[in-house]
Amino acid sequence: MTGQSTLQIRNVSKRFDLGRGRSVQAVQDISFDVEQNSICVLLGPSGCGKSTVLRMMAGLETPTEGEIVIGGRTVDGPGRDRGMVFQAYTSFDWLSVRKNVEFGMKINGLPASERKDRTAHFIDLVGLTKFADAYPSQLSGGMRQRVAIARTLANGPEVLLMDEPFGALDAETRWLMQELMINVAEQTSTTMVIVTHDLEEAIFLADKIVFLSSHPGRLKEEIVPQFKNGKRIADKEKVVKLDGYSDLEAHLMRLMRQEGRENE
Amino acid sequence: MATNRFFGLRKPVGRRQRLVSAFGIWAVFFGVWIFASSAGLVNDLLVPAPQKVFATTWDLFWERGFASDVMISISRVVGAFAMACAVAVPLGVLMGAFPAIEAVFAPFVSAWRYLPAPSFIPILLMWFGTGEAPKLALLFIGVIFFLITLIMDHTKNVREELVETALTLGAGRSTVVMKVVFPAVLPNIVTAMRQMLAMAWTYLVIAEIVASTTGIGAMMMRARRFLKTDEILSGIIVIGALGLIFDLLFALLHRWAFPYLRKS
Ligand SMILES: Nc1ncnc2c1ncn2[C@@H]1O[C@H](COP(=O)(O)OP(=O)(O)OP(=O)(O)O)[C@@H](O)[C@H]1O
Ligand SMILES: [Mg+2]
Repeated sequence: MTGQSTLQIRNVSKRFDLGRGRSVQAVQDISFDVEQNSICVLLGPSGCGKSTVLRMMAGLETPTEGEIVIGGRTVDGPGRDRGMVFQAYTSFDWLSVRKNVEFGMKINGLPASERKDRTAHFIDLVGLTKFADAYPSQLSGGMRQRVAIARTLANGPEVLLMDEPFGALDAETRWLMQELMINVAEQTSTTMVIVTHDLEEAIFLADKIVFLSSHPGRLKEEIVPQFKNGKRIADKEKVVKLDGYSDLEAHLMRLMRQEGRENE
Repeated sequence: MATNRFFGLRKPVGRRQRLVSAFGIWAVFFGVWIFASSAGLVNDLLVPAPQKVFATTWDLFWERGFASDVMISISRVVGAFAMACAVAVPLGVLMGAFPAIEAVFAPFVSAWRYLPAPSFIPILLMWFGTGEAPKLALLFIGVIFFLITLIMDHTKNVREELVETALTLGAGRSTVVMKVVFPAVLPNIVTAMRQMLAMAWTYLVIAEIVASTTGIGAMMMRARRFLKTDEILSGIIVIGALGLIFDLLFALLHRWAFPYLRKS
């Protein structure tokens, strides 16, 4: 966590055109920075525009106003510098786990020997070495999501964008994956932006929480979990026991409830 | 108890019960046929006994060179169908992947789909005479527009997340189409081809009955002139058997080419 920001979101608004003259304002005038090598969590009630913000960072949507800057350049379309992991499974079913993980490096023309090493390394990192030659259809949901994460990381993005990546997983796998993400952040110095609406997950992962208010999404609050003292702790149980954890959780609950009420 | 076991509401039946049921219905069919002809209930000239039809089929193949007619019919179907696929597969995939290409070809293709192919027979005969060309053209016209539409629809149904994943891994447009969209839709393309091949057989018989001196359909029309109902029925049986064989071949191709679709 150097203070330098990798991603800058500057006065970004997004209006979706629904046709026949109707439109919906999804995001309104949001600005925040994501520091290099940090984990930034986007939090907020359902429909507040978290996915929209993330997709604009990925270049899959264009802001109607404002701009998103990565490493000094304005985002204009998707690119390999910003890898994305979706909530839905995105494994390429016709490829083995190994070929899936290799995919990005292959289309980007990495030499075969380097590809092989990186593939093996990232498959090992997500604990799928035994299943390297299996097809995705033979894997459980959690394992498929790990394939997607390994595939994205192996491609060496500067920023890893994840949209509720563990939403569909059972509690135990979810927990393992969250700890994995902390380890990955430490080992690869990738900047991460993670969307979630799970408070526990947000507090555990975040170096900074960006809370969006509901519809249209505005920036409500930027929260740095001070109680972690700027450290990342890969053991979830320890984090939950720290002083200040429950205060932050209570604060986030209050924000959520407030927004929920205003939504009615 | 027994009725529950063999007659459950929406419960799948066992393999044994399926086989017995399938055998049973055909046994009834042939039973009625044999009974009707041996008891003299039907005119022997119009409805020959099944054993006579099978004897004739044998005779046609081994004594009277029917096999060459069959080969001609098969090569017509395979030839015309291969040509149709060579055009429909790339075009359908491109139309499904690029709305701009769809916008050009879809209005054209869907108009042709509503024209019954046999309505072209008179003009095809005038253009191409009586050689192979008009038959191939009829099959081609009869199949290609449905094939294009089916493949286009399947291509559109390739999940957006797969495309977006590839884009965020750094793939360009042509890489996305070649390395993600096409392999993702390929199993459905083979299924569409399987369905359309059945239709190709229909048009083949029409072409051979209307305007041909060779092939299975032509043999049946010759037989009609000499009141050989047994030969006509032989022709029908052979056409049915060929349709079934080709369908099985496609099913085998599907199993062999897409092992990853099978669980475990
Ligand atoms: N492609 C689209 N076309 C039209 N409207 C859209 C589109 N994508 C999102 N929206 C609208 O924008 C708003 C924000 O959606 P978004 O998916 O970003 O919310 P979210 O915070 O990710 O919600 P959730 O927590 O349920 O995933 C919603 O009102 C949604 O209906
Ligand atoms: Mg969302």
